Amino acid sequence: MNDTELYYEDLDLGDEIGPVPRVVTGEQVLEFVTVSRDEVGPSRFTSAEVAKSEGLPNPIVPGAMNIAIVSQLITGWSPTVTLRKLDCVFRGLVPHNKPLTLKGLVTDKDIVDGTPRLECDVTLENEEGTPLVIGKATVIVPMRGG
Amino acid sequence: MTNEDPDLKYDRSLLGAEQDMGSIEVTHEMIVRFARSTGEANPIYLDDEAGKQSKYGSIIAPPTFCNTFVNGGTRPDIGLKFGDVSLFAGQSIETLAVVRPKDSLHASTKLKEVYAKTGRSGKMVFVVWETSFTNQDGGTVALVEESFVSRKRNPR
Repeated sequence: MNDTELYYEDLDLGDEIGPVPRVVTGEQVLEFVTVSRDEVGPSRFTSAEVAKSEGLPNPIVPGAMNIAIVSQLITGWSPTVTLRKLDCVFRGLVPHNKPLTLKGLVTDKDIVDGTPRLECDVTLENEEGTPLVIGKATVIVPMRGG
Repeated sequence: MTNEDPDLKYDRSLLGAEQDMGSIEVTHEMIVRFARSTGEANPIYLDDEAGKQSKYGSIIAPPTFCNTFVNGGTRPDIGLKFGDVSLFAGQSIETLAVVRPKDSLHASTKLKEVYAKTGRSGKMVFVVWETSFTNQDGGTVALVEESFVSRKRNPR
Protein backbone atom coordinates (compact mmCIF):
# COMPACT_ATOMS: atom_id res chain seq x y z
CA MET A 1 0.00 0.00 0.00
CA ASN A 2 1.48 3.29 -1.15
CA ASP A 3 0.86 6.17 1.30
CA THR A 4 1.65 8.96 -1.19
CA GLU A 5 -1.34 11.22 -1.79
CA LEU A 6 -1.93 11.74 -5.49
CA TYR A 7 -3.94 14.55 -7.05
CA TYR A 8 -5.31 15.11 -10.53
CA GLU A 9 -2.72 17.80 -11.24
CA ASP A 10 0.15 15.39 -10.41
CA LEU A 11 -0.84 12.79 -12.98
CA ASP A 12 -0.51 12.67 -16.73
CA LEU A 13 -0.93 10.38 -19.71
CA GLY A 14 1.80 7.75 -19.83
CA ASP A 15 2.31 7.65 -16.05
CA GLU A 16 2.95 4.09 -14.93
CA ILE A 17 1.25 2.34 -12.03
CA GLY A 18 3.22 -0.46 -10.38
CA PRO A 19 4.65 -2.94 -11.17
CA VAL A 20 3.30 -4.86 -8.17
CA PRO A 21 4.42 -8.48 -7.72
CA ARG A 22 1.85 -11.02 -6.52
CA VAL A 23 1.50 -14.73 -5.85
CA VAL A 24 -1.90 -16.32 -5.24
CA THR A 25 -1.79 -19.39 -3.01
CA GLY A 26 -4.19 -22.32 -2.94
CA GLU A 27 -5.13 -21.36 0.63
CA GLN A 28 -6.15 -17.88 -0.52
CA VAL A 29 -8.32 -19.36 -3.29
CA LEU A 30 -9.99 -21.71 -0.81
CA GLU A 31 -10.80 -18.80 1.50
CA PHE A 32 -12.06 -16.69 -1.41
CA VAL A 33 -14.52 -19.28 -2.71
CA THR A 34 -16.05 -19.65 0.75
CA VAL A 35 -16.63 -15.93 1.35
CA SER A 36 -20.14 -16.12 -0.08
CA ARG A 37 -20.91 -19.75 0.81
CA ASP A 38 -20.30 -21.81 3.92
CA GLU A 39 -19.53 -24.97 1.99
CA VAL A 40 -18.29 -25.55 -1.50
CA GLY A 41 -17.40 -28.78 -3.22
CA PRO A 42 -14.14 -29.41 -5.04
CA SER A 43 -13.87 -27.44 -8.25
CA ARG A 44 -11.41 -26.44 -10.94
CA PHE A 45 -10.37 -23.67 -8.54
CA THR A 46 -9.55 -25.84 -5.55
CA SER A 47 -8.96 -29.41 -6.69
CA ALA A 48 -6.14 -30.74 -8.89
CA GLU A 49 -8.29 -33.79 -9.67
CA VAL A 50 -11.27 -31.74 -10.88
CA ALA A 51 -9.01 -29.37 -12.80
CA LYS A 52 -7.38 -32.27 -14.64
CA SER A 53 -10.78 -33.83 -15.39
CA GLU A 54 -11.68 -30.56 -17.13
CA GLY A 55 -8.51 -30.56 -19.20
CA LEU A 56 -6.64 -28.03 -17.09
CA PRO A 57 -3.05 -28.70 -16.01
CA ASN A 58 -3.64 -27.45 -12.47
CA PRO A 59 -6.24 -25.58 -10.38
CA ILE A 60 -6.76 -21.98 -11.47
CA VAL A 61 -7.65 -18.69 -9.80
CA PRO A 62 -11.37 -17.75 -10.20
CA GLY A 63 -12.22 -14.86 -12.50
CA ALA A 64 -13.87 -12.85 -9.72
CA MET A 65 -10.70 -13.23 -7.66
CA ASN A 66 -8.54 -12.11 -10.59
CA ILE A 67 -10.57 -8.94 -10.99
CA ALA A 68 -10.26 -8.28 -7.23
CA ILE A 69 -6.49 -8.64 -7.46
CA VAL A 70 -6.28 -6.38 -10.51
CA SER A 71 -8.35 -3.77 -8.64
CA GLN A 72 -5.61 -3.60 -6.00
CA LEU A 73 -3.30 -1.96 -8.48
CA ILE A 74 -5.61 1.05 -8.06
CA THR A 75 -6.71 0.66 -4.41
CA GLY A 76 -3.06 0.32 -3.37
CA TRP A 77 -1.82 3.13 -5.61
CA SER A 78 -2.71 5.99 -3.28
CA PRO A 79 -5.17 6.62 -0.42
CA THR A 80 -6.63 9.55 -2.39
CA VAL A 81 -7.78 7.60 -5.49
CA THR A 82 -11.08 5.76 -5.87
CA LEU A 83 -11.77 2.97 -8.34
CA ARG A 84 -15.06 3.72 -10.09
CA LYS A 85 -15.16 1.07 -12.81
CA LEU A 86 -13.04 -1.88 -13.82
CA ASP A 87 -13.61 -3.77 -17.05
CA CYS A 88 -11.49 -6.90 -17.52
CA VAL A 89 -11.02 -9.50 -20.22
CA PHE A 90 -9.64 -12.91 -19.27
CA ARG A 91 -6.94 -13.86 -21.76
CA GLY A 92 -5.29 -16.79 -20.01
CA LEU A 93 -5.56 -19.12 -17.04
CA VAL A 94 -4.16 -17.69 -13.81
CA PRO A 95 -2.29 -20.40 -11.89
CA HIS A 96 -1.81 -20.84 -8.15
CA ASN A 97 1.61 -20.31 -6.55
CA LYS A 98 3.31 -18.66 -9.54
CA PRO A 99 4.84 -15.18 -9.76
CA LEU A 100 2.43 -12.63 -11.23
CA THR A 101 2.84 -8.92 -11.92
CA LEU A 102 0.26 -6.14 -11.88
CA LYS A 103 0.95 -3.16 -14.14
CA GLY A 104 -0.93 -0.07 -15.19
CA LEU A 105 -0.69 2.97 -17.41
CA VAL A 106 -2.62 6.24 -17.38
CA THR A 107 -4.16 6.58 -20.85
CA ASP A 108 -6.49 9.56 -20.43
CA LYS A 109 -7.43 12.28 -17.95
CA ASP A 110 -10.48 14.48 -18.02
CA ILE A 111 -13.02 16.26 -15.88
CA VAL A 112 -16.42 14.66 -16.45
CA ASP A 113 -19.49 16.39 -14.99
CA GLY A 114 -17.20 18.23 -12.61
CA THR A 115 -15.42 15.07 -11.44
CA PRO A 116 -11.71 14.67 -12.22
CA ARG A 117 -11.00 11.20 -13.50
CA LEU A 118 -8.40 9.03 -15.16
CA GLU A 119 -8.64 6.16 -17.58
CA CYS A 120 -5.97 3.51 -17.06
CA ASP A 121 -4.94 0.30 -18.80
CA VAL A 122 -4.28 -2.47 -16.30
CA THR A 123 -2.79 -5.95 -16.72
CA LEU A 124 -2.01 -9.05 -14.75
CA GLU A 125 0.95 -10.86 -16.31
CA ASN A 126 2.71 -14.15 -15.71
CA GLU A 127 6.47 -14.39 -15.22
CA GLU A 128 7.05 -14.59 -18.98
CA GLY A 129 5.30 -11.24 -19.36
CA THR A 130 2.24 -12.75 -21.03
CA PRO A 131 -0.92 -10.84 -20.11
CA LEU A 132 -3.44 -13.16 -18.45
CA VAL A 133 -5.96 -10.46 -17.56
CA ILE A 134 -6.21 -7.11 -19.32
CA GLY A 135 -8.54 -4.30 -18.41
CA LYS A 136 -9.50 -0.68 -18.28
CA ALA A 137 -10.02 1.19 -15.04
CA THR A 138 -11.89 4.43 -14.46
CA VAL A 139 -10.40 6.17 -11.44
CA ILE A 140 -11.61 9.22 -9.53
CA VAL A 141 -8.79 11.46 -8.29
CA PRO A 142 -9.28 14.66 -6.27
CA MET A 143 -8.00 18.06 -7.33
CA ARG A 144 -5.63 19.87 -4.98
CA GLY A 145 -7.70 21.99 -2.61
CA GLY A 146 -10.87 20.54 -4.15
CA MET B 1 -17.32 -8.21 -36.94
CA THR B 2 -20.29 -8.10 -34.53
CA ASN B 3 -23.90 -8.65 -35.43
CA GLU B 4 -27.26 -9.76 -34.10
CA ASP B 5 -27.54 -13.10 -35.79
CA PRO B 6 -31.21 -13.98 -36.45
CA ASP B 7 -30.19 -17.63 -36.78
CA LEU B 8 -28.98 -17.80 -33.17
CA LYS B 9 -31.23 -20.16 -31.26
CA TYR B 10 -31.91 -19.17 -27.63
CA ASP B 11 -34.80 -18.11 -25.45
CA ARG B 12 -35.28 -14.48 -26.48
CA SER B 13 -38.02 -13.97 -23.88
CA LEU B 14 -35.22 -13.73 -21.29
CA LEU B 15 -33.70 -10.63 -22.90
CA GLY B 16 -34.07 -7.75 -20.45
CA ALA B 17 -36.25 -9.75 -18.05
CA GLU B 18 -35.19 -9.14 -14.43
CA GLN B 19 -34.42 -12.29 -12.45
CA ASP B 20 -34.32 -12.13 -8.66
CA MET B 21 -31.01 -13.43 -7.28
CA GLY B 22 -31.86 -12.97 -3.60
CA SER B 23 -30.44 -11.02 -0.70
CA ILE B 24 -27.09 -10.87 1.04
CA GLU B 25 -26.56 -9.78 4.62
CA VAL B 26 -23.05 -8.35 4.55
CA THR B 27 -20.99 -9.22 7.60
CA HIS B 28 -17.74 -7.83 8.95
CA GLU B 29 -16.26 -11.32 8.55
CA MET B 30 -17.22 -11.51 4.85
CA ILE B 31 -15.46 -8.23 4.11
CA VAL B 32 -12.31 -9.14 6.00
CA ARG B 33 -12.16 -12.62 4.46
CA PHE B 34 -12.66 -11.20 0.97
CA ALA B 35 -9.90 -8.64 1.52
CA ARG B 36 -7.52 -11.10 3.19
CA SER B 37 -8.01 -13.86 0.61
CA THR B 38 -7.28 -11.51 -2.28
CA GLY B 39 -4.14 -10.14 -0.62
CA GLU B 40 -5.59 -6.68 -0.07
CA ALA B 41 -3.22 -4.44 1.90
CA ASN B 42 -5.31 -1.27 2.19
CA PRO B 43 -6.25 -1.10 5.90
CA ILE B 44 -9.68 0.48 5.35
CA TYR B 45 -10.83 -2.96 4.17
CA LEU B 46 -9.23 -4.91 7.00
CA ASP B 47 -8.58 -2.91 10.11
CA ASP B 48 -11.35 -1.55 12.36
CA GLU B 49 -9.24 1.29 13.72
CA ALA B 50 -8.18 2.41 10.22
CA GLY B 51 -11.82 2.23 9.16
CA LYS B 52 -12.91 4.39 12.10
CA GLN B 53 -10.28 6.99 11.25
CA SER B 54 -11.31 7.06 7.59
CA LYS B 55 -13.97 9.29 6.02
CA TYR B 56 -16.28 6.24 6.06
CA GLY B 57 -16.22 5.74 9.84
CA SER B 58 -15.84 1.96 9.60
CA ILE B 59 -14.22 -0.63 7.41
CA ILE B 60 -15.77 -0.87 3.97
CA ALA B 61 -15.82 -3.60 1.34
CA PRO B 62 -13.24 -3.53 -1.46
CA PRO B 63 -14.70 -2.19 -4.72
CA THR B 64 -15.16 -5.57 -6.42
CA PHE B 65 -16.72 -7.25 -3.35
CA CYS B 66 -20.15 -7.74 -5.01
CA ASN B 67 -18.57 -9.88 -7.73
CA THR B 68 -18.27 -12.78 -5.36
CA PHE B 69 -22.07 -12.98 -5.06
CA VAL B 70 -22.70 -13.21 -8.79
CA ASN B 71 -23.34 -16.88 -9.25
CA GLY B 72 -23.98 -18.06 -12.77
CA GLY B 73 -25.58 -21.23 -11.45
CA THR B 74 -28.67 -19.40 -10.27
CA ARG B 75 -29.47 -17.96 -13.68
CA PRO B 76 -31.95 -19.51 -16.06
CA ASP B 77 -30.69 -21.59 -18.95
CA ILE B 78 -31.10 -19.50 -22.09
CA GLY B 79 -31.09 -22.63 -24.23
CA LEU B 80 -28.33 -21.45 -26.53
CA LYS B 81 -27.89 -23.85 -29.43
CA PHE B 82 -24.34 -23.14 -30.42
CA GLY B 83 -20.88 -24.50 -29.75
CA ASP B 84 -19.51 -27.09 -27.41
CA VAL B 85 -17.11 -24.97 -25.34
CA SER B 86 -18.16 -22.13 -23.03
CA LEU B 87 -15.65 -19.81 -21.37
CA PHE B 88 -15.83 -16.89 -18.96
CA ALA B 89 -14.63 -14.11 -21.26
CA GLY B 90 -14.73 -11.02 -19.12
CA GLN B 91 -16.28 -9.05 -16.32
CA SER B 92 -16.78 -5.41 -15.47
CA ILE B 93 -17.86 -3.83 -12.24
CA GLU B 94 -18.97 -0.28 -11.66
CA THR B 95 -18.94 0.73 -8.02
CA LEU B 96 -21.55 3.38 -7.25
CA ALA B 97 -21.60 3.41 -3.44
CA VAL B 98 -19.63 1.89 -0.58
CA VAL B 99 -20.71 -1.39 1.05
CA ARG B 100 -20.36 -1.68 4.83
CA PRO B 101 -20.82 -4.43 7.41
CA LYS B 102 -24.55 -4.98 8.22
CA ASP B 103 -25.65 -3.70 4.81
CA SER B 104 -28.47 -5.71 3.28
CA LEU B 105 -27.94 -6.08 -0.46
CA HIS B 106 -30.41 -7.31 -3.03
CA ALA B 107 -29.28 -8.67 -6.39
CA SER B 108 -31.16 -8.96 -9.64
CA THR B 109 -29.86 -9.99 -13.00
CA LYS B 110 -30.97 -9.80 -16.59
CA LEU B 111 -29.81 -11.15 -19.92
CA LYS B 112 -28.42 -8.02 -21.56
CA GLU B 113 -27.47 -9.27 -25.00
CA VAL B 114 -26.50 -12.26 -27.10
CA TYR B 115 -24.42 -11.62 -30.18
CA ALA B 116 -22.19 -13.37 -32.65
CA LYS B 117 -18.70 -12.37 -33.61
CA THR B 118 -16.45 -13.92 -36.23
CA GLY B 119 -12.71 -14.05 -35.73
CA ARG B 120 -9.75 -16.04 -36.99
CA SER B 121 -10.91 -19.10 -35.05
CA GLY B 122 -14.39 -18.92 -36.52
CA LYS B 123 -17.75 -17.92 -35.15
CA MET B 124 -18.20 -17.21 -31.45
CA VAL B 125 -21.35 -16.33 -29.54
CA PHE B 126 -21.21 -13.97 -26.58
CA VAL B 127 -23.80 -14.04 -23.81
CA VAL B 128 -23.81 -10.96 -21.58
CA TRP B 129 -25.55 -10.76 -18.18
CA GLU B 130 -25.94 -7.61 -16.11
CA THR B 131 -26.44 -7.88 -12.36
CA SER B 132 -27.32 -4.95 -10.14
CA PHE B 133 -26.93 -4.75 -6.38
CA THR B 134 -29.08 -2.40 -4.32
CA ASN B 135 -28.75 -1.68 -0.62
CA GLN B 136 -31.33 -1.40 2.16
CA ASP B 137 -31.97 2.24 1.21
CA GLY B 138 -32.81 1.33 -2.38
CA GLY B 139 -29.60 2.80 -3.78
CA THR B 140 -27.67 0.92 -6.43
CA VAL B 141 -24.22 0.08 -5.06
CA ALA B 142 -22.75 -1.91 -7.95
CA LEU B 143 -23.40 -3.00 -11.51
CA VAL B 144 -21.65 -6.15 -12.67
CA GLU B 145 -21.52 -7.25 -16.28
CA GLU B 146 -20.28 -10.71 -17.24
CA SER B 147 -19.55 -12.08 -20.71
CA PHE B 148 -19.45 -15.75 -21.58
CA VAL B 149 -18.27 -16.96 -24.97
CA SER B 150 -19.38 -20.15 -26.68
CA ARG B 151 -17.54 -21.62 -29.62
CA LYS B 152 -17.01 -24.84 -31.46
CA ARG B 153 -14.04 -26.87 -30.24
CA ASN B 154 -12.61 -27.43 -33.75
CA PRO B 155 -14.08 -24.79 -36.04
CA ARG B 156 -13.55 -25.23 -39.77
